[in-house]
Amino acid sequence: MTLFHFGNCFALAYFPYFITYKCSGLSEYNAFWRCVQAGATYLFVQLCKMLFLATFFPTWEGGAGVYDFVGEFMKATVDLADLLGLHLVMSRNPGKGEYKIMVAAMGWATAELVMSRCLPLWVGARGIEFDWKYIQMSFDSNISLVHYIAMAAVVWMFTRYDLPKSFRLPVTVLLALCVYKAFLMELFIHIFLLGSWTVLLVKAVLTGAIALCSLFLFVTLVHSN
Amino acid sequence: MFEEASEVFDNMFKSSFPLTFIVFIPAVLILVSPLPAEAAHEFTVYRMQQYDLQGQPYGTRNAILNTEARTVEAEVLSRRCVIMRLVDFSYEEYQKALRQSAGAVVIILPKNMSAVPQDIVQQFMELEPEMLATETIVPIYFAMEDDELLSIYTQTLTSSSSQGSLSAAEGRHSSATVLLHTATANGFQMVTSGAQSKAISDWAITSLEGRLAGVGGEDLPTIVLVAHYDSFGVAPWLSYGADSNGSGVSMLLELARLFSKLYTYKRTHAGYNLLFFVSGGGKFNYQGTKRWLEDNLDHTDSSLLQDNVAFVLCLDTVGNGDTLHLHVSKPPKEGTPQYSLLKELESVVASQYPEVKFSMVHKKINLADDMLAWEHERFGIRRLPAFTLSHLPSHRLARRSSIMDVRPHVDVKKLSRNTKVMAEALARVVYNLTEKGTPGDLQIFTEQMQVQEEQLSAVVDWLTAQPRAAQLLDKDSSVVSTLEYHLGHYLKDVKRHYVKADKRDPEFVFYDQLKQTMNAYRVKPAIFDLLLAVCIAAYLGMMYLAIQASQNSRSSLHDLTPTNAPTHTLISSGAEKTDSYEFLIY
Repeated sequence: MTLFHFGNCFALAYFPYFITYKCSGLSEYNAFWRCVQAGATYLFVQLCKMLFLATFFPTWEGGAGVYDFVGEFMKATVDLADLLGLHLVMSRNPGKGEYKIMVAAMGWATAELVMSRCLPLWVGARGIEFDWKYIQMSFDSNISLVHYIAMAAVVWMFTRYDLPKSFRLPVTVLLALCVYKAFLMELFIHIFLLGSWTVLLVKAVLTGAIALCSLFLFVTLVHSN
Repeated sequence: MFEEASEVFDNMFKSSFPLTFIVFIPAVLILVSPLPAEAAHEFTVYRMQQYDLQGQPYGTRNAILNTEARTVEAEVLSRRCVIMRLVDFSYEEYQKALRQSAGAVVIILPKNMSAVPQDIVQQFMELEPEMLATETIVPIYFAMEDDELLSIYTQTLTSSSSQGSLSAAEGRHSSATVLLHTATANGFQMVTSGAQSKAISDWAITSLEGRLAGVGGEDLPTIVLVAHYDSFGVAPWLSYGADSNGSGVSMLLELARLFSKLYTYKRTHAGYNLLFFVSGGGKFNYQGTKRWLEDNLDHTDSSLLQDNVAFVLCLDTVGNGDTLHLHVSKPPKEGTPQYSLLKELESVVASQYPEVKFSMVHKKINLADDMLAWEHERFGIRRLPAFTLSHLPSHRLARRSSIMDVRPHVDVKKLSRNTKVMAEALARVVYNLTEKGTPGDLQIFTEQMQVQEEQLSAVVDWLTAQPRAAQLLDKDSSVVSTLEYHLGHYLKDVKRHYVKADKRDPEFVFYDQLKQTMNAYRVKPAIFDLLLAVCIAAYLGMMYLAIQASQNSRSSLHDLTPTNAPTHTLISSGAEKTDSYEFLIY
């Protein structure tokens, strides 16, 4: 709409990241370059995923409006690479668990924000046409920050040797949820024909639930040691 | 917070030089990138006429439009784009909008023009010349109605009328309600994509001439048949000019066909030259005819027009009605060919088509007028005996220059009947049948020589398939070349005549940008942005406070037992999820 509107959207999308970085104490560890490295890993992983998808999943050519359940599921499975990427980032960073998780998640989420939201916001929110979708996109970036922190935490827990037996199942379930969240959302939208605000709300609730569960597990794990 | 931000950037730039490139060059590239045009709705608009005639400006003088849409119901119209529908268009509201210095007017025409009630059509026809009579500073556009445009209109109408009623009842409403209402209102920004209109230089108006030579000695009398082919309406791109003057051209072509047939046989080859002229720029004071006469009378030594012209017959608006009028600027004297044509027409109508009311209308040429009334006056000024055949009783009737003059306005049956009348009368003059004692009810054009209704209707269909305003038909246009081909089919020596306005003192000037693409962007008022900014600031502030609070409780977290910790985090993360993990850094 105007530059002002772009400023609004930009603030909404970016300031939570900034606040998180500053207040989580990452700045005290001088973790900026580690975050940038995490971001670079993100780029590398996305590139690999894209190549893989383009090679093995040609465009679905079914009729319009038909939902290719199996195909979409297989595509979502490729997102497992994200887990590997996060693990890679964390294994290369020495330090405490929380620190590792935060660095990996911050770098990862920020790279995603810059790569996939910056340009649409600049191009779209600055145009004459007003659309709520840019505000929604900014909210969505807040949600994805939570999502990646939860995901990193779950990955960290999963890769620990001293993970108690009773934790194994819930962590695996959370891991699967994290990976297939996007797929589940797609499915919800397709089945219930949700509006864009409802989708955002459902996404927030789902992500919040995953985040709280992993937080619970994490805190229990850390304090039990 | 901002100091910290700058610290981060400082670190970034000190540590590595290439990074500045990575960050700054894309930033610069993005900053200079043009704004994208992703419109809610995109539609074609047709601009009102803009031309100068004899130094006098007419029509709208502007083409650029970038303002918010309103309807006439709104309180303030200044610098707004006023949308109106033809169905409830009124000249008073149009004038009111212009008086309030509206930024532009967009008039939405119904998609199916023939479904519009006749009185509305009639009323708009009358208004068209008034709208054009004086120059208008702001752009006036016409658009064809579609569902999207209708919904834009309805939304604008709702917000405009509620705005009007709100400001009227401001005393009763609290200012907060009004503010909220303005902040949440949906608006539409209307933007045209084209540039400012400018005069087209060196525009050539094309006219076509062709002849059928008579037989029997030198210095034969010449009969000239003239019809102008261009159309006129309030918007050039919407002027289809079916009755005026598609019907005249089709009658002329049919007459050319019939007489070319007669002139191929020795027995029916008459002692008259027939000169056919399809003139351009007829709606702009008959510019094509004017130049043709100048070329023929002043600049050439030998021309059919210079010696022995029997009469000039102009055909204008002949495709409807049960009346026929022969408009003359001087009543013909007895014994002249002009007089005999008048008599022949009378007798043909009386004996063969008694349902037609035929009359002669006498109107003197008024040289003080800006515009000539009929095409024959151009010839009258040059002292050539001339008259115009039309079913209209007066030249002032609005239907001669209206965008409402579309294909259904021509009744092919009546056009064919009028053509027949004309052909019969002309043949009787050419072969001098009355003096030879042929009865009045003898029909010449029967059987193989019949007036072909399909031919007439095909020509009218083709002519009304595209707008034929003089500004749109250059010398390469298909209308002109097809007409030329058609004439060449029947006539000899088909020639083009071009009129270009004089460079220093142009008699007519046309302007471009008559058809444009308009975008309607959905916009929110500036106050909405402010409100949104406040909301976002509040949201971010709450988040910041929540994180701060959680940091303060960090130390106390150490003392908590493992079982207690999650419940604690649960409480604070309920307020803001993003910061749930800030506890973990201890």
